[in-house]
Order: sequence, then C-alpha cells, then structure tokens
Amino acid sequence: MPIDLPNPSLAALPSAAGRTRLSLPIRQPRARSRWSFRDRLLAWASLLLALASALVVASLAAAQTLTAVRERGALVCGVSHGLLGFSSVDDKGNWSGFDVDLCRAVAAAIFNDAGKVRFVPLDAAARFAALKSGDVDVLSRNSTWTMSRETTFGLVFAAVTYYDGQGFLVRKALNVESALELDGKSFCLQTGTTGELNVADYFRANNMTYSAVELASLDEILTAYDGGRCDVFATDVSQLHAERLKLAKPEEHVILPDVISKEPLGPVVRQGDDQWFTIVKWTHFAMVNAEELGVSSKTIERAMQSEKPEVKRLVGTAGNFGEQAGLASDWAARIVRLVGNYGEVFERNIGTKSPLGIPRGLNHLWTMGGIQYAPPIR
Amino acid sequence: MERERRTIAVWLCVWGLLASGTAGEQAQAQRPMSLQAEELPVEEQPGIVPDPDEERLPAAYQRQLVFFRTAEPPGTIIVSTSERFLYLVQGNNRALRYGIGVGRDGFQWSGLLRISRKSEWPDWIPPPEMIDRQPYLPRYMAGGPGNPLGARALYLGNTVYRIHGTNQPQTIGHAVSSGCFRLVNGDVMDLYDRVPVGTKVVVRQSPEL
Repeated sequence: MPIDLPNPSLAALPSAAGRTRLSLPIRQPRARSRWSFRDRLLAWASLLLALASALVVASLAAAQTLTAVRERGALVCGVSHGLLGFSSVDDKGNWSGFDVDLCRAVAAAIFNDAGKVRFVPLDAAARFAALKSGDVDVLSRNSTWTMSRETTFGLVFAAVTYYDGQGFLVRKALNVESALELDGKSFCLQTGTTGELNVADYFRANNMTYSAVELASLDEILTAYDGGRCDVFATDVSQLHAERLKLAKPEEHVILPDVISKEPLGPVVRQGDDQWFTIVKWTHFAMVNAEELGVSSKTIERAMQSEKPEVKRLVGTAGNFGEQAGLASDWAARIVRLVGNYGEVFERNIGTKSPLGIPRGLNHLWTMGGIQYAPPIR
Repeated sequence: MERERRTIAVWLCVWGLLASGTAGEQAQAQRPMSLQAEELPVEEQPGIVPDPDEERLPAAYQRQLVFFRTAEPPGTIIVSTSERFLYLVQGNNRALRYGIGVGRDGFQWSGLLRISRKSEWPDWIPPPEMIDRQPYLPRYMAGGPGNPLGARALYLGNTVYRIHGTNQPQTIGHAVSSGCFRLVNGDVMDLYDRVPVGTKVVVRQSPEL
C-alpha cells in the first residue's frame, strides 16, 4: 500500500525562499551590466519575496482556527438549544448528545481532553452568521448540507455525520410495511415546510393520492395524529423517533423503513481554512474507520498493540498522519479513547442505548447495509 | 424413537461445545476482551416461565422492519454479534431485525452456514461444566415452557451453533455465558415459521484487532 509522504519540494520552499531573500543585500554585483543585472536581481528578489509572503500568508490563514483554538485552550462549538439525543444540557451545565460528541472528538484530537469545549447554543436563524463571524469554531447543530448554504454563507460542510430524511409514522394496526402502501391515507403535515412538498412529490411520482390535515406546529400535529385525525405523521425520521415517545402508547406505532428525502446533517466550518476543515472532516472519518476496524473505547488499549497495518495507521503506531494534519500522532486514538467510535457515539445518544432507539439504517457502515463510508487513512 | 434422536442430537450439540475444548479455548483467547468483560453474569434458570411483561423487549430490540442494503438474497439470515441483532433479509433494501443475546459460543465463528434442522421445544441437557457450577440443575429437561433453550431451535450446518429461544428475555441485547444466538420465544417462533431448512445464515463478528 502506498504511503503518502509530504512533498519535499513544497515543504522546502518557504525556508529556501527566506534564505535567498536574506542574502540579497550582501550580494553587490560588480559586473558592467550592473543596472540590468540589478534589475534582474530586483525582479528575482521581488518574485521570491512575493512567493515567500504568499506562502507565509497562506499558511497563516490555514493555521488560524487551530492556532486560535490552541491559544484559547478550548474549542468553541455551536450546537442546538436542545434536541433529544443530538444536543442537550443538564442542570449542572453538562452537554451531551450526538452533535455534542463530534465537538468533543475534535477537542480530544487537539487537547487529548474531550472536556475542553465551550458549547454555544444557537437558534436556527443565527447559526450560520455565528460561524461566519468567528463566534464559533465549528457548527455541529443538525444542519442539512445544501449547496446554497455553502455558496451564500461562505461555509463548508466537513462531513455527513447523520443521514436523515423524511419518513412516516403509522399505527401498527394499519398493517403497512412500505410507504407505497399508503395510497388514499390521510397525512398530518406541517404547513409551509419542505416536508409538505416532499410528500406531494413522492405521491405524484408513485401515482398515489392522499388527503392532508395541515397544522401549524409539531405539537398540534402530534395531538391530531394521536387523536386519530390522520393515519400518517410525516417528518424527518430522527424527529419521528423523538415524537413517538410522546404518544400515549408508543409501542402501538411504527416508523416505516422508507426515507423519501435527503437531509444530510453534519458539522460546518468557514471556507478558507483548509487545515481546520481537514481536521473536522477527518475527526468524523477516524470515528467511522475505527468502528469498521473494531477499534472502540473498550478495545483501544489492545488496538495500540495491534500488528494490523490499518489499525496501526489509525491509532498512530505507524506513520505520521496526525502530524501532517497539525495534530499529534495519536490523534485518532485520543478520539476513540475519550469519545468512542462512530457506532458507540450513535448507540449511546440516539441508538439502542438511548430512549430514541433509532435503527442505524442509512447510518450503518457501508459493510453493514448503510452508507457511512470513510476514506482510508494511508 | 423421535424423542431419542432428538435427545442424542441435543447431547451432541452440548457435547460438541465441550469437546471443542482445545479449539474453543484458542478461539476464546482471540475473542475481544470487551465481550468477556460485558458478559451478563446470569445462570440458567430452568423452570422459570417469564411473564408476558418480561418478554416485552426494550423498543430497540423489538422485532422490526429496518432499512438494510445487502447483496444477499431475500430469505438470508445475517447475524451481527457486535450489534446483538439478527437480520432476515426481505429485499427492497429492507430486513426484519430481531434483538438477540449472544452466548460465548456465538462469538467463536464467522462465515456462511445453512440451517440443517429445525426443532420445536427442544430438550435440554446441561453440560457437566454447568452442573459443576450449578449442581442443583436437572440432568435432563424435556422441551416446554421454562426450558432454557426456549420454544424453537434452528441448527446450523453440522456445527454446534444454533439459533434458539430462551426463558430469560432480560439477556437479549447482551453477551451471555452460555448458548449461541438466543431470541425471546415469540421472536424465535416467528423466525422459525419464516425460514425453511437450507436457509443461508451469515455470521458476522466484530473485526479482530
């Protein structure tokens, strides 16, 4: 397997340029073609100067967020005010949840301490502006990755940590196993949401009809559905699992396996700081790769002794992948030890070990029926 | 005659678990530490008949249809020991998912097997090792409610592995000391009715480090 080494010519450039620049005033050429030589020399010097400063500026910009986080001694992470399983704060001020753990993992990679995070609750309207203005280093707030959010706000999504999408909650008594069997049923829908459009599109595409009970708020929808005013409650699957818990008899209802829209959720960073973007992105990839390789918070100490090349590269006992990213060689081992691998974080917050009990579904590893797939560390 | 054959088969299964001692120990040495540490320390409790409330599993482990992409054809069983789930592939990106408890022997092997035999209310003969630990156990227990093997057993190839029921529903979702893959009785009866002899069973373990 080829191991990528840092490009020596690129790595050597800044210092070489710097030396040349320093030696310039000493060299006083005595040749006849003094002016022309001087002109040429000046041209070269200014070129080198420009190149050197460009490199310096570029590397400064690239290192901005990581340096700022290190100097501050804590990561500042924008999260949701409160969303069951994704981010919530207890009465002692301790944050927990799936979105919260992504930030803890980034802090673990940088500081070897998952506690060095300051959480800033942001509402939906303020979240992107808060990131853009630098109030937070990373936004991990169940935000859907769309093109316009990257292009109009100057932001970039680092990864998809949770593949969400619109699904359907129905009574078990309805005896339905697929969304295609919902022809003629009545739907409780939130007025003016994309959910309403998704249902319309899906039913049109599949030559089915439905009747809509349109309501303004989720609470009204839940009451209407529980009271039997409609057959189907349609919204994002993660939300359906949370809402089902509020029904009078949750066990009498089922969430169909169908997902009819794309709502990829993930952490967001500012454009223009590639080093920081890389760190956040690979934090997620490290957790996915760890799960795939069987490296968990419970097996990490044995993984440090592993002889398997893939495991060694992940935990940092082979290669210098962490250093190349501006981190320590054991960056990924720190993440797994202090926060866990992707599967552990999923199950603890929103999966089998949580009240939500969301099945992995699309968020299963690609080897296990889902689409979570991380590029390899090599 | 039928009863006798059944008894012998159970003996073979139980003895198989013991006779495989050397190989078993080796395999056990490679078994992830976490699984040993997390093992639920429960003894077999023959005669205990769980009430319906106890048999109602936590929501996550209840039988349910889930999204599941796979290249395996519908009708295939996929056992994922690290997750404590058994999937019955339905096609159309779906699987019926059952919560399972995984016994020590369930962690020993991965690969493809086929269901070689099905049995209703199998008899139970605790292995001598278990008798040493729990001397008060019966030496033989006829199949029926309260039997630790539960309502149904599906035998896998000519190995000692099998999918069976349990009279201890609280062990679902855990690693347990004995047995292979256990489901609550309602689930194992449901599965039994859906799969014929010859069904492909893929067993997947957590990768070795």
